[in-house]
Amino acid sequence: MELVPGNIFGVWAMVVVSICVLLVVYLTKEGKFLVKLRRIAGLEAIEEAIGRATEMGKPVHFSPGIADVTGDTAPQTFAALEVLTYVTTLSAKYNAELIVTIRMPNVFPLAQEVVRQGYLAAGKPDLFQEETVRFLSSEQFAYIAGVLGIFTRQRVAANLMIGAFWAESLLMAEGGSQVGAIQVAGTANMHQIPFFVAACDYTLIGEEIYAGGAYLSQDKVRLGSIASQDYVKFALMASILVGAVMMTAGNDWLRVLFVK
Amino acid sequence: MRREIPLLITFLVGIIFLFGPITTGNIPVLEMSFRQIVSTYLSPWTTIITAFAIGLASINLLRLHGSYVARKRSGWINSAALVISMLFFTVARIIRELRPTDPEVVAFYGRIFDNIAAPLSGAMFAILAFYIASASYRAFRARSLEASVLLVAAIIVMLGAAPVGALIWDYFPSLQRWLLAVPNTAGQRAIIIGAAIGGFATSLRILFGLERGYLGGD
Repeated sequence: MELVPGNIFGVWAMVVVSICVLLVVYLTKEGKFLVKLRRIAGLEAIEEAIGRATEMGKPVHFSPGIADVTGDTAPQTFAALEVLTYVTTLSAKYNAELIVTIRMPNVFPLAQEVVRQGYLAAGKPDLFQEETVRFLSSEQFAYIAGVLGIFTRQRVAANLMIGAFWAESLLMAEGGSQVGAIQVAGTANMHQIPFFVAACDYTLIGEEIYAGGAYLSQDKVRLGSIASQDYVKFALMASILVGAVMMTAGNDWLRVLFVK
Repeated sequence: MRREIPLLITFLVGIIFLFGPITTGNIPVLEMSFRQIVSTYLSPWTTIITAFAIGLASINLLRLHGSYVARKRSGWINSAALVISMLFFTVARIIRELRPTDPEVVAFYGRIFDNIAAPLSGAMFAILAFYIASASYRAFRARSLEASVLLVAAIIVMLGAAPVGALIWDYFPSLQRWLLAVPNTAGQRAIIIGAAIGGFATSLRILFGLERGYLGGD
């Protein structure tokens, strides 16, 4: 068994990064490494949004994006489910009505379990209703039509959109804006970020959505993993700088190494 | 065991899917490549799980809207339309599967998509044009320094891309190209690199069972 050419550097980089992540996670768990995350306004606004919905007696809408649990956008869906755990806990605390809309059938049972367990952990299992987590359609635009229908009929007061979104991002954000909902959105899909920035009150940009679970739970393991990302980022920044200098000097050793 | 078994399955399947596309040759003891394990064993399971998930989701949809119709809840007529369309499409697809070579059935099924599903999706997509205008109006109101920078950059990019821009000032097109190629690309790459590392770390946490939120919490 051998590696396919073109992946050799990638695999070794993956091993090194994995060791770095796991090491920082271990040190954080053991208390030998203290992690403090910077303030993320978008995540802090979630409580404000749910509180507002409670005061108004209107529902909170949450969408974990339209990606599946497989493929390169799957981490965004999992990150969204982490945030959903927190949203469920807060909804239970404030007795706010929560509506979770789902596009991908594979995400549906996961979201149902997250919400059910969230209510159970909060000591309010009776708050979980069959209509709390709703599968709308696996068709992208049918899904968004369903979401806009819910916005209009139920006049949601808070609209939380965390996960992978595509063309429906602005439709959902503008729909939420038109019914006057306070909106927190986040995605790592580069081309949808400007739409969220334009239409939402708070936007989580790129990697901030992955920090959501750690930030909201303050769990040491997750916090350690977030801190390790910064070290990897520093290493990457250094390699970009060194690579640029080397290429300018006519030496392509680093470039060749990266494509091995 | 309710937690450990799913975590073990996640780890093993994750490793196999990870090494599938980047390795060749057989795994020493198993005499089978990662790719073969994926295509022979895992892909059919993926299909089976997805089929069950679709079943669960469809039942949720039918029960929910069925109860709205039965209780004549406000807006029940929409629910009735949804249930009828869903059943109609299901029956149409079953007939299409049972008679795949019948030209009339194939044409009828094609017409459903061409004349109902496609125009409806197109209509939803078209709304984007209006929403872009209203969102841009709100975003470009110069209420803060950041919004003012956004407004100025947007005006330059728009004028640089429109033929009239070059007539107003020769430098608009080159300024627009610079804005897109340098500050915009730099910002985008920074976000992409950060998001890629974040995605990788999240995947690693899931693979090693450190992230368990998707199983309904710790």
